[in-house]
Amino acid sequence: MRRRLQLFWVLFVASLKMFVRNRLAVFFSLFLPLVIMLIFGVLNFEGTSTVVVGVVDEAENPASLALLQAMENVDTFRFEPGDRPAQMAALENGERDMVVVIPAGWGTDAAARLTAFTPAGSQQEARLGTLILTAVVAEVLVAGGGGPAGPLVQVEQVNALNLGYIDFLVPGILGLTIMQLGLFGVAFSFVQLKRTGALRRLFATPTAPGYFLGAQIASRLVLGLAQIGILLGIGLLFGLHLVGSLALLLGVALLGAVIFLGMGFAIAGWAKNEDQAAPVANIISLPMMFLSGTFFPREAMPSFLQGVTEYMPLTFLNHALRDIANEGAGVVELAPDLLGMAVWAVISFVVAVRLFSWE
Amino acid sequence: MTVAATWRPPAVGAPILVVRDLRKRYGSLQAVDGVSFEVRENEIFGILGPNGAGKTTTLEMIEGMRPIDTGTATVDGVDVTRDPRGVKARIGIQLQASAFFDELTLTELLELFGHLYNRQVDAARLLADVELTDKAGSQVRTLSGGQKQRFSIAAALVNEPRVLFLDEPSTGLDPQARRHLWGLIRGIRARGHTVVLTTHYMEEAEELCDRVAIMDRGRIVALDTPQGLIDALLASGFRKARVERLANLEDVFIDLTGHELREEE
Repeated sequence: MRRRLQLFWVLFVASLKMFVRNRLAVFFSLFLPLVIMLIFGVLNFEGTSTVVVGVVDEAENPASLALLQAMENVDTFRFEPGDRPAQMAALENGERDMVVVIPAGWGTDAAARLTAFTPAGSQQEARLGTLILTAVVAEVLVAGGGGPAGPLVQVEQVNALNLGYIDFLVPGILGLTIMQLGLFGVAFSFVQLKRTGALRRLFATPTAPGYFLGAQIASRLVLGLAQIGILLGIGLLFGLHLVGSLALLLGVALLGAVIFLGMGFAIAGWAKNEDQAAPVANIISLPMMFLSGTFFPREAMPSFLQGVTEYMPLTFLNHALRDIANEGAGVVELAPDLLGMAVWAVISFVVAVRLFSWE
Repeated sequence: MTVAATWRPPAVGAPILVVRDLRKRYGSLQAVDGVSFEVRENEIFGILGPNGAGKTTTLEMIEGMRPIDTGTATVDGVDVTRDPRGVKARIGIQLQASAFFDELTLTELLELFGHLYNRQVDAARLLADVELTDKAGSQVRTLSGGQKQRFSIAAALVNEPRVLFLDEPSTGLDPQARRHLWGLIRGIRARGHTVVLTTHYMEEAEELCDRVAIMDRGRIVALDTPQGLIDALLASGFRKARVERLANLEDVFIDLTGHELREEE
């Protein structure tokens, strides 16, 4: 037993050394996601997004109806009507930039004043929303001939998650990193070992090849965890909110790693050289990189694409990582994603076992 | 170890490698068709033959790298079908010279292979034996062809093998490097190892091997000492069309460029 552990350890350390010294592998699986994150983080796409406004209409009179219509004409606003508790909960989750409450008797009762709830330390959407809202209200009230004395809109700050683009981006980059590490980190190094005969050379020793395979997988998982740590650290510097359980986040990352390691081994098993492995790895990774909600929400895509991409493995992984990081989701809330990932893990494992060969 | 190791008369040890009626079929091709031979302890044994004659397949079956259809091969009393790991532990195999992890240094590789054979390894001594001491901290990809070849032999010696298998060890080497390699192989034999090698160079077989087996179409068509094979051919009445010269072009080449080892790159 001691000898087996020692052997595994020696092979594990050798695998780590080999990976770290392979500049190409390091670049594609570790450095690239980091660069992408920095680029997208600096570009900061949140300025281009719309203001999501939750509206609670407690007046339900002609004046409030006129106000709602006027607000709908504002392009910057996206409306989410609903009752007060639901809207406030959504605001706290960071799903709304602002919640507007129209009180009963608004427009007729001079004391009834609009309240705009915005997250404390409000981001620019909320500030922008308040400004536009005030202008719209003034217009409606002037047209209706009346209105309260004093400020038209009372702004109240609530404790809420102030989610920004970084909160969307970092979980996506984590998913991307896991995919790259599995697909490229494994496929390329193994195909190279196959082509040069290094795997056969291992097979010529009395040590069972499973040790080397296990050490390779373990080294990739450890590198993946290290990379997740680095990315989360940088994310926190950029103002990332990490709400959920770190252990659950790592667990889900591990399940994702199983899927993509399986795919990497399947490619490595099938391909005879790097030239065969590269296009296949890219065909698998590129569509997911851009369509699985890594950099932009899938909701922003045409609906037929949303349907196609809903069942991609990276979609499940990104969604689960994001729900854990942003909303503190637990295993129960993540069940659909976990199920989808489990199915993919089984598929890629079976394909890898069928395609893998040492020569 | 010196390049000009002294020639020794054919070894007369007990059989250490015994191959009996080995067969391997790939689809409709009978790649190895009933091969039997014995290699004696401390012998340098050559297997010659054109491409596709079945040399490599034969070696791979003996080494436990490829399943045997029928027949047996035993190394040092261990049957390869029954105990492939036992055979692998007793032999050294040199594959293509590139068959190593690019990112590790020579010392790291030898130590890693030591662990794979469950042995303590003196990497510095192994490297000194193949004259690669000054490359100990380099990676395989930075070595020249001859250096790679020598390193792959050092790696095959990690487990002090009873039998060392070399598959076309001198292919692609210049005449100086080839002669240097011959000296190295003689030195390995002088330290008590048995060597089995394949080659395309008749001159190499004649120079190095105590006995050679000539294979064609999956069978051994002749097996004797190089001189014995030549004598048998001459006894059959064969004469070269052109009278044998006292020197050939390679002699001229070596005379002009010297025995000194050149390292490319």
